[in-house]
Amino acid sequence: MSLVLENVSKIYRDGPKEFRAVDDVSLEVKQGEFIAIIGPSGSGKSTMLSIAGALLSPSEGEVYLQGENITNLSTKKITEKRRDQIGFVFQAANLIPYLKVKDQLNLIDVLSKQKRAKRSIELLEHFGLKHRINKYPNELSGGERQRVAIARALINDPQLILADEPTASLDSKRGREVVELLADEIKNSGKSGIMVTHDERVLDVCDRVISIRDGKIEKQ
Amino acid sequence: MFLAIRELFYSKLRYILIGLIMVLVASLIFIISGLAKGLSADNASAIQELQADYVILNSDAEMDMTKSFVSRSNMKQMEQADGIKEVNSLSIQMRNATVNGTDKNEDVSIFITEPESMLLPIVAEGNAINSTNEVIVDQSLKREGIQLGDTLTFGEDKEVKVVGFTTEQRYSHTPVVFMTSEKPEKMNAFVVNSGEASLTSIQDEIGSNYEVVTNGELLKGIPSYSQEQASLNMMIVFLYVIAAFVLAAFFYVITLQKRDQFGVLKALGAKTAYLIRSVIGQVLIISVLCIGIGVGLTYGIGAAFPADMPFKLSPIGMLQSSMLILAVSLVGALISLVQVIKIDPIEAIEGAGK
Ligand SMILES: Nc1ncnc2c1ncn2[C@@H]1O[C@H](COP(=O)(O)OP(=O)(O)OP(=O)(O)O)[C@@H](O)[C@H]1O
Ligand SMILES: [Mg+2]
Repeated sequence: MSLVLENVSKIYRDGPKEFRAVDDVSLEVKQGEFIAIIGPSGSGKSTMLSIAGALLSPSEGEVYLQGENITNLSTKKITEKRRDQIGFVFQAANLIPYLKVKDQLNLIDVLSKQKRAKRSIELLEHFGLKHRINKYPNELSGGERQRVAIARALINDPQLILADEPTASLDSKRGREVVELLADEIKNSGKSGIMVTHDERVLDVCDRVISIRDGKIEKQ
Repeated sequence: MFLAIRELFYSKLRYILIGLIMVLVASLIFIISGLAKGLSADNASAIQELQADYVILNSDAEMDMTKSFVSRSNMKQMEQADGIKEVNSLSIQMRNATVNGTDKNEDVSIFITEPESMLLPIVAEGNAINSTNEVIVDQSLKREGIQLGDTLTFGEDKEVKVVGFTTEQRYSHTPVVFMTSEKPEKMNAFVVNSGEASLTSIQDEIGSNYEVVTNGELLKGIPSYSQEQASLNMMIVFLYVIAAFVLAAFFYVITLQKRDQFGVLKALGAKTAYLIRSVIGQVLIISVLCIGIGVGLTYGIGAAFPADMPFKLSPIGMLQSSMLILAVSLVGALISLVQVIKIDPIEAIEGAGK
């Protein structure tokens, strides 16, 4: 099991009132599985994804990554886990504006003190970005940017890929391409993936769709 | 450095602008320091270079040599005091000298001491003094067109001949003229060679009618000296503060602008320590570069100043100022680092956790 959430809740307190952004959620993601999370705005999708990605610690419950309980690790250890085992694709691509495409990927190498120059070239080639290698993010189209972001999420060969609305800034055709790319990568190399999306038209690409409302899982 | 350098290149314009301000502030610090040093030498190099261990003043003089009077009849008493090996006297007169009997005249400070006195400086050009009618003068008079063999006349009576030039001998913004004489009964001060004896032991020995002072204390006693230096030093301190604030504000705003990026970097697995090194790296690169340019600029400007301008650059002083500017820049960057530490990787994900 790549990722397990066990009775996870995130509680925000506002004075005496408490607000459960994520409410007693349990979820298992198998190797090779690609899950979509849908739900209305404010239902807790991003919060849940952040907990799964060790960006946010849950108020209650446990999180297991590759069988290891990561709920109470130190900030430093958590940072290393994110760096080595998790790949993120954010809504607005979130590339670093002053890095050329190739350096967006090299950055991950620099952070983890590794050399995978060959892999990064392969990845960019695979994603049809080879001719864009020396461009800055502001010189790329939205779809290209999102593809670079996916390549960046894959460079460290993570077991778990998390994507928060990766298609939000793309038209539906481009959006579908990006999601298919993600799905292929996850299937072919036996990773696990969770994607938050508002786009119903790409759900067929995923193995499973989870719908959440008011922090609770509605159906699986 | 991976991030630091790439960002500097990408955002060239904004970093060049802040660099420009840094260069100007650094140059201003160097130039005013040079001016302070130059003025200090112009006002008192003769005192700074005074070839005596201690100076003995009348105790009512409040360290001001021009207000001090001692008499020749007491010189024997000084010579016999324990710890004093050698005594000479010094009289200072501010006079106007007529050159070669022409219309040309110069304001000078006359230092009168005994023949063979310890105060007589090394001659850089010409000869030592052989009679009471010969003088050695500071070489700044050379720029005024005075040559060896010229005569200087003070008032109606006294006429002397310039036999030598010496260096670093200015007092009260005028060149010093060294003259020998055993005549004056009233002098401004005794100067002593004391070997190992300490200031307090000599003070005890000669009694409370006199005050034993060091060269440094004598400097502070020169009426204009302290005020001149204080006002320049205050400017320099302000410039350091300005440098710190400008950098602090700049890096603070830039860091605020980059909040999202820092969030993403942290989410991608960049440790806070790495990001801190990156910011400090940028500050160091910019500061070192700007200080370097500032040093070059200052030497350039210094070379363009007229020769008689009181302006003096010392490599050691320059190095000290440079280190201080560097330190001040790093202090300025500190509040940005607090920002960097506080940024939460959750900020990379829209909405959640904010
Ligand atoms: N730090 C916080 N303090 C208080 N409430 C918060 C905090 N972070 C998130 N919330 C609340 O938790 C709820 C879930 O937020 P979340 O961002 O997970 O929603 P979402 O499903 O991703 O919405 P969207 O589709 O608009 O992105 C929201 O009501 C939000 O206001
Ligand atoms: Mg969201």
